[in-house]
Amino acid sequence: MSLRNQFEEKTKDPAVQKMLGIASEQEIETVWDRYENMLPQCGFGETGLCCRHCLQGPCRINPFEEGQETGICGATADVMVARGLDRAIAAGTAAHSGHAKHLAHTLLKMATGEAKDYKITDAVKLNKVANRLGIAVDNREEKEIALDVARAALADFNEKETPVLWAAGVVTPGRVKVLSDLGLVPKGIDHEVSEIMHRTLYGVDADPVNLLLGGLRCGVADLAGCYMGTDLADILFGTPTPLASEANLGTLKPDHVNIALHGHNPVLSEIIVKVAQDMKDEAAKAGAAGINIVGICCTGNELMERHGIPSCTHSVSQEMALLTGAVDAMIVDYQCIMPSIASVAECMGSKIITTMDICKISGADHIAVKEETAAENAKQAISSAISIFQTRKNRNCRIPDITNKVIAGFSTESIIAALSKLDAQDPLKPLVDNIKAGNIRGVCLFAGCNNVKIPQDTNYIQMAERLLKENVLVLATGCGAGSLMRHDFLDPSKTKERCGEGLFAVLNAIGEANGLGGPLPPVLHLGSCVDNSRAVEITVALANYLGVDIDQLPVVASAPEATSEKAISIGCYAVAAGLPTHVGVMIPVTGSALVTSVLTEKVKELTGGYFIVDPDPQSAADKLISAIDERRKGLGL
Amino acid sequence: MSDLKEIFVNTQHCTGCLSCKLACAVQHSKNKDLFSALSQDPKPKSRLYVEWLWGNTKVPVLCRHCEDAPCVNACISGAITRAENNAVITNTDKCIGCWTCVMVCPYGVIGRDKDLKIAYRCDRCPDQDHPACVDACPTEALTYATVDKFSAEKRQAASREVAQGQGG
Amino acid sequence: MGRKYVIVGGSAAGMAAAHTIRKKDRNGNITVLSNEKAQPYFRPMIPYIINGKKRPDDIFLSGSGIFTQGGISVKTGFGAKSIDFQKKTVTTASGEAFLYDKILFSSGSTPYLPENIEGLDSEGVFSLKTLSDAQGMAKRSETATHVVMLGGGILNLKAAFALLEKKLSVTMVVYSPEVLSQLMDPKDAFPIRNALDNAGLNIITGISATQVLTDSSGVCGVALDNGSQIACQMVCVGKGVVPDTGFLNGNDIKIDKGIFSDPYTQTSIKDAYTAGDVAVAIDPVTGEKTVTSLWTHAVEMGICAGLNMTGSKTVYTGTLGIMNATQVADVPLVSMGIVHTKNSEYETHAKKTRLTYRKIVFSKDGTRLIGALFIGDIKNAGIYRYVIREKKNINGIKSHLINHTVHYGHFMQP
Ligand SMILES: Cc1cc2nc3c(=O)[nH]c(=O)nc-3n(C[C@H](O)[C@H](O)[C@H](O)COP(=O)(O)OP(=O)(O)OC[C@H]3O[C@@H](n4cnc5c(N)ncnc54)[C@H](O)[C@@H]3O)c2cc1C
Ligand code: SF4
Repeated sequence: MSLRNQFEEKTKDPAVQKMLGIASEQEIETVWDRYENMLPQCGFGETGLCCRHCLQGPCRINPFEEGQETGICGATADVMVARGLDRAIAAGTAAHSGHAKHLAHTLLKMATGEAKDYKITDAVKLNKVANRLGIAVDNREEKEIALDVARAALADFNEKETPVLWAAGVVTPGRVKVLSDLGLVPKGIDHEVSEIMHRTLYGVDADPVNLLLGGLRCGVADLAGCYMGTDLADILFGTPTPLASEANLGTLKPDHVNIALHGHNPVLSEIIVKVAQDMKDEAAKAGAAGINIVGICCTGNELMERHGIPSCTHSVSQEMALLTGAVDAMIVDYQCIMPSIASVAECMGSKIITTMDICKISGADHIAVKEETAAENAKQAISSAISIFQTRKNRNCRIPDITNKVIAGFSTESIIAALSKLDAQDPLKPLVDNIKAGNIRGVCLFAGCNNVKIPQDTNYIQMAERLLKENVLVLATGCGAGSLMRHDFLDPSKTKERCGEGLFAVLNAIGEANGLGGPLPPVLHLGSCVDNSRAVEITVALANYLGVDIDQLPVVASAPEATSEKAISIGCYAVAAGLPTHVGVMIPVTGSALVTSVLTEKVKELTGGYFIVDPDPQSAADKLISAIDERRKGLGL
Repeated sequence: MSDLKEIFVNTQHCTGCLSCKLACAVQHSKNKDLFSALSQDPKPKSRLYVEWLWGNTKVPVLCRHCEDAPCVNACISGAITRAENNAVITNTDKCIGCWTCVMVCPYGVIGRDKDLKIAYRCDRCPDQDHPACVDACPTEALTYATVDKFSAEKRQAASREVAQGQGG
Repeated sequence: MGRKYVIVGGSAAGMAAAHTIRKKDRNGNITVLSNEKAQPYFRPMIPYIINGKKRPDDIFLSGSGIFTQGGISVKTGFGAKSIDFQKKTVTTASGEAFLYDKILFSSGSTPYLPENIEGLDSEGVFSLKTLSDAQGMAKRSETATHVVMLGGGILNLKAAFALLEKKLSVTMVVYSPEVLSQLMDPKDAFPIRNALDNAGLNIITGISATQVLTDSSGVCGVALDNGSQIACQMVCVGKGVVPDTGFLNGNDIKIDKGIFSDPYTQTSIKDAYTAGDVAVAIDPVTGEKTVTSLWTHAVEMGICAGLNMTGSKTVYTGTLGIMNATQVADVPLVSMGIVHTKNSEYETHAKKTRLTYRKIVFSKDGTRLIGALFIGDIKNAGIYRYVIREKKNINGIKSHLINHTVHYGHFMQP
């Protein structure tokens, strides 16, 4: 077996393959090595049949053993699995909404003048959000409105009289009814998370279906967190419009101070981008041609969609950026940051800088970033990167010469703006007409991560290739978008070869009408993982336009290489919203036939959405296409 | 003899995770993968046991494939034979479920399949290079080696056999 | 010239000895005389011939288990009639004479037929012992609709189930207060009795038969000692077995119920050995002499005799008088050692559930495990047998034995 082939089993990204060769040559351990060392993985964990919720445990239920059907407390396999899943949903919800809460605090401090480095960038969005929340906008100062929006946002975390506004106010009226009939309207985002912790405690909820409904409600709270995250980030930093950028490791520049921004929240990264402009001289003094900022994971997506800052890599290959030797500092906030980067950085002589109180990594430098002192903190971090550059500058970097062209930045607003070039009066009409005509067979959202268990990007590539040829409009967020951009799916010059005729015609017409001189890219980049809310917003707009509910639309979702618990909570809100939702990794529920069947079948009767768990990308694509067709049929198309 | 391999047990390494038991059941299922084994009816059985001793010692127990195996002598249907890899195996077509082997095995490692009404036990996974339990063990509490090699490396009390009762 | 081994009786004990001899002595001449027509077979499998689940081909010994050696001359249809220990010669019923250097008596046992029941020689009366008995029963059961089983022992139960499966109606007449009285106290038999009743077996206890009634087609009924009669076309007698020593009559060989055996399986006469159902063995628990009818014991004593006949001196450590495992009416059952404890001073512990029963018996002073009876749940029976048979010190594990939590780990050297 050639070396090359060996790496193909790990990743489909040629840049990452190259880096893996370097890693093995230098004997630097990567996530793939650790995965192999971890094998075999525990079957009890894989099936969700282990429980550590109390000190009588740990318990595990051997599904093949008679007479051992419960944990010590009497929890059945169904209960164990449902409790475990609920906690994963709660964790995902806590993360997305924690991100949103961070933005809400920033907005609040901005409005009260405490956080001087921030401002309102998109007043139109501010008004739009305020309107939705019932906050008066006429004749008011922007900051006053912002203050109310921030307060409303923070209020959504607690249990209160009104339901969570970022959930109940953002879906179709029909969906509100479905959710309230099922008791799935969250009362407060933090409240739902904490209620999950309560009900999954030793000796509380032991009804698997009740537990799952609780989990779904928490999933709806996750939607609120995501939606809020997008709204507030757009207000503070601007709503994305399409722009050109680049992706992959080739975006690192050997003669520049390379700063990789990794994590999720734009609160810090936006400031770093700004401050870096002012520190060019300092970099030049250190002998650098400039400061090159690149993104990793969702921070990358946030910066790309608003500023066209390149993304150097994503998710499972984050260590590779460091392995090039060209990254001087990797500045991180939170989520999806593998602790291993600290040791890789040490090997390569670069630095990891953590910035958040809740996310420190031993071996990394820590700069406690506060909204009040953001610019100052950013400066400190960049200086640190520059000083590393000085020690690094003469050393050979090994940057794979691979970059991919990207058009990113499709928000709901920018998509509608683009469509209005076709029909200014009725911008959704051309889209709906094309769906009706079958030029767009349906819509699929790709979200989620890469997962070391799947050769990186395989499922995204195979499924997107297939769906595009079948004229399915593909949207992508997070590391799903990251994956697709590293394989030219966001490159408009590839639209013709990638897409079916009908879809190409539509993308081309929109592109031409917008003066692009060609089509939109094959896949539309909606942003980071919280920006899955944009997909919901578009879907809701379509449903409202047609006067139907979400579960009738030919819209599906897929997290083909999911890793984070956030992918599970997103999946749950997609299902609660009524979407057939594919997951390409086995989720730890198969130990319970009941839970598995509720998630993949029975829930369909409740919300119209359901999970499709299928690790095979081709058959998963088949299933999504037939779900789309089933819904087209339902609409009489 | 010396090139024939055996499964050795090192109780000091066993964490009681039961991964070996799962892997064993899966290996003895139709499709040999965990997720389809879960829906197989009747469920496949695992053929080894992890017992517990006061003081928190965990003891994986499985058929020792005894040199002078009492079960082979005892079998009234001719179902138990010694295979080429030196494993003592139960031929499921011949077994009639009289449980004489269960009665004579001093290790208590022959199981009773209540659905099929026949006995089951470790067969050392004849289709595999390594028995599934050994591959599944994350701590090398189970290893597959020749007797010589194992003795040379480290002979654990746990793998020494219970002195066998001869005769009925 | 190799040594001449002659073996009288080619079943568990005889064939185990023959195959052991062949492994140890590649040159010896091994001749097995069998008065059965069929080649050696797994005798306990013959109930499956009655119900047709197995064909004779399926149950022959050759090639299975320990019976894998070649070069053994099995002379079927040759019954030993007399032995001349001086001339070291066996003469068969048909007049052939075989010289031997070493001889093994492994002639097994024959069914006991009580004299006080008249008409046991009638057509349609069976006693399940040989393949040809089974074939005869299979044939008769084609036309019969009702069968009466005399005796509630394990062999008769097996035969009864084979016939039930053939849709005959079956009445079992048991003199004892309960079936399987050799293997357990009557009050312990409840899970089995329930299962038997549910399976449709009609059991009458405390009654015995006095006469088999006949007409021109053979059996037509059975008369009972309570004055009643049961109409039937078939009778099966299962009143135990007795060692088959007839061919040794008139010889000066020590016989006490069965053939005497020294610790090395040798009889009272030099170069003559014995093993299996026909031999007397020692029960290691009671220390007393015992004749049993156990396949496992016959095989292991046969192996031991084979070793001794080839000159490898090996002690036979005996057999538990009771050591039975089986499954009747889907209920598994193991009975070993001393299990009859009614009116005894043994320390006994029993664990009962609706469908299972586990009783274990300790010596009077409570220091030794001497018996165990497991019905419905036979888990770890082998470990109990090991403790009983090897007279293991039970310090530290007694509570595990009583609570049925014992496992192999408890015997590991620290
Ligand atoms: C229906 C049935 C079911 C049984 N089930 C079980 C069971 O589940 N478990 C268990 O442990 N035991 C069981 N047994 C008992 C077991 O089969 C015997 O204990 C065992 O067969 C004894 O073996 P043996 O070699 O000593 O004698 P036998 O098997 O009795 O064989 C002796 C052989 O010698 C032949 N013979 C006798 N005299 C002469 C002579 N003069 N010359 C030549 N040949 C002669 C006989 O015809 C016979 O073939 C069962 C028996 C029967 C009949
Ligand atoms: S909560 Fe129940 S199942 Fe979980 S560890 Fe405790 S006793 Fe075991």
